[in-house]
Amino acid sequence: MPQDRDTGPDAARATAHAGIERLIDTLLPSLIAKLATLNVGELEVREGDWHVRLRHPTVASQDLGRRATDGSGQRAHAGHEAVGAPAPARAPASGVATGAKIAVSNGTVPALSPVGPGRASDGPPGREVGPGVAASHGPIATSPAVGIFQPGSAAVAGARVKAGERLGAVDMLGIPQDVVAPADGIVTSIMVEGGTAVEYGQELVGIEATAGSEAR
Amino acid sequence: MFSKILIANRGEIALRILRACRTMGIEAVVAYSEADRDSLAVQLADEAICIGPSDARRSYLSVPAIISAAVVTGCDAIHPGYGFLSEDETFAEVVRAHDLTFIGPPPEVLDRFASKEGTRRLLGGYGLPTIPGSVGMLRDDEHALAEADRIGYPVLIKPSAGGGGKGMRMVRTPRELESALRVCRSEAKSAFGDDSLYLEKWLDDTRHVEVQVAVDRYGHGVQFGERDCSVQRRHQKILEEGPTTALSAEARAELCERAIHAVVAAGYENVGTLEFLVDAEGKAHFIEINCRIQVEHAVTEMLTGIDLVAMQIRIAAGEPLGMTQADVQPRGHAIEFRINAEDPAHDFRPGAGVVERYHAPGGPGIRMDSHLFPGYEVPPFYDSLLGKLIAWGPDRATAIERGRAALDELVVDGIVTNLEIHKAIISSETFLEGRMTTNLLDRVGSAAFLAAAART
Repeated sequence: MPQDRDTGPDAARATAHAGIERLIDTLLPSLIAKLATLNVGELEVREGDWHVRLRHPTVASQDLGRRATDGSGQRAHAGHEAVGAPAPARAPASGVATGAKIAVSNGTVPALSPVGPGRASDGPPGREVGPGVAASHGPIATSPAVGIFQPGSAAVAGARVKAGERLGAVDMLGIPQDVVAPADGIVTSIMVEGGTAVEYGQELVGIEATAGSEAR
Repeated sequence: MFSKILIANRGEIALRILRACRTMGIEAVVAYSEADRDSLAVQLADEAICIGPSDARRSYLSVPAIISAAVVTGCDAIHPGYGFLSEDETFAEVVRAHDLTFIGPPPEVLDRFASKEGTRRLLGGYGLPTIPGSVGMLRDDEHALAEADRIGYPVLIKPSAGGGGKGMRMVRTPRELESALRVCRSEAKSAFGDDSLYLEKWLDDTRHVEVQVAVDRYGHGVQFGERDCSVQRRHQKILEEGPTTALSAEARAELCERAIHAVVAAGYENVGTLEFLVDAEGKAHFIEINCRIQVEHAVTEMLTGIDLVAMQIRIAAGEPLGMTQADVQPRGHAIEFRINAEDPAHDFRPGAGVVERYHAPGGPGIRMDSHLFPGYEVPPFYDSLLGKLIAWGPDRATAIERGRAALDELVVDGIVTNLEIHKAIISSETFLEGRMTTNLLDRVGSAAFLAAAART
């Protein structure tokens, strides 16, 4: 859906939005289906100012999934999460509009394997996704270490938390590493059960930021 | 035998270890940093676990992170690969304290061979000819100057820890020594966390020859012949081959025999490599032992048909070697080319970026150990090795011809590589005649070497 540059920023944004909606609702699912049936690594579709590129997790790894570490299925990465996984999946693809870069990002995006089995690597080259930095939606408290997650008393849905507040700990060889809220807000979800093995950077607690308070 | 191994490394060696585990029916968990999330080893692994951020100090060098990862994934052993924590006796000790097995020499063996200077004296006591050098670590500048006087200039300043040419300088005068000591100390400190230095007599026009050995827990050892790693750039190996052209068949056999005898007598365990400098008169001088699997182990695997990584795992699990010296029958000639993300046009500065196209060569005798794939983003945080191309032939001339064809066939688009320097080396008369010394490139400078090759 081409952007109309003559109609002002609001109209342009609305047009872009419509484009994103259409992408998510109609184009992406069919593209994903198509990519799955074709023996190609990458698929790019252009329509007006939009082009969407989908990449397979390399041809070599087509059939090579990774098992979740703890066997409970909770540790599957966003990239391999099944449709309808409890945690909001990260945007698996990026739509790029000429003139303005808009990441297609929405909790309802059907999941597909992004580049590799890890999290979607849709950031610019060299970017480091550090703990507490969520790519595109509400702030998420992530694991500061590899170990066993133990949620704290503040880690309950509906709890109001402040940026920097302790939400629990990851026990690394007996040494607790604090899991802290990346922003002021309300706890929306505990993504990992207590006592579960977690890896570094794993998303643990979802938070809905209180307006204007995100610590970034 | 182990049931599950944590691979605490990255790049091509993580993949190599994973493949060894596969053939042995052992599950493997790849421990990776955030920068390696999309790596081939992570994709192909049975399991993978993120242990920290891209900064190696908080991931591949983080002892607690690696051990915690092994514990929570239910591993019973850790393979450290090369570099990082592969020769760290403290790490090996902590691994054992957590009821896990370090795949490499046991901690007390690592400890015994930890000091390069001490190892030289230890193995010298078991009949190995060693290079003259300082006695003990250098206490201060004054001590260094006195020792250098005793040994005689030129001398090579070397850090006790680590490898890869970091913290090393050759000096010809006391004045050069004094200023170089400061630089070497700080380089060694930042690279290995240990700034202790020692001195070695510098020999001009030497060849670098190393002997691959394996010794089991029961004191049975075999040697797998030698490799020649004379082609270096600033103390970093870039091309290795076997057998060496520096020694006669008799001299090679004698060197390998003395090497295995000395390490068995000194109580070494697991796979290891003894490095020697061979001087212009063909005399070998022991310099150091590497208590790990080396980058160039593939050369020996091609010559002997033996899987050295699998052997390393079996020895660590307490199995006997299960072979004798008579079972080692090296055949033909093998050459390994280290393909690095380095820009020959800009003093070999390391590069990073996205691999747009990748094609690995094939054909008889060709092996490519690489973690590249089209679309792979080479992270800028680690060493620049992209892969190893190994060419085997029934004789050296055939290995060179196959290597040349394979280098021409190899495609790595999107990032700059050192392919050109390999093509120049295997076309140079000195290399073709097997007369290269460790200063083949540095004597003229790598840029001049390339330019000269382009003219002919």
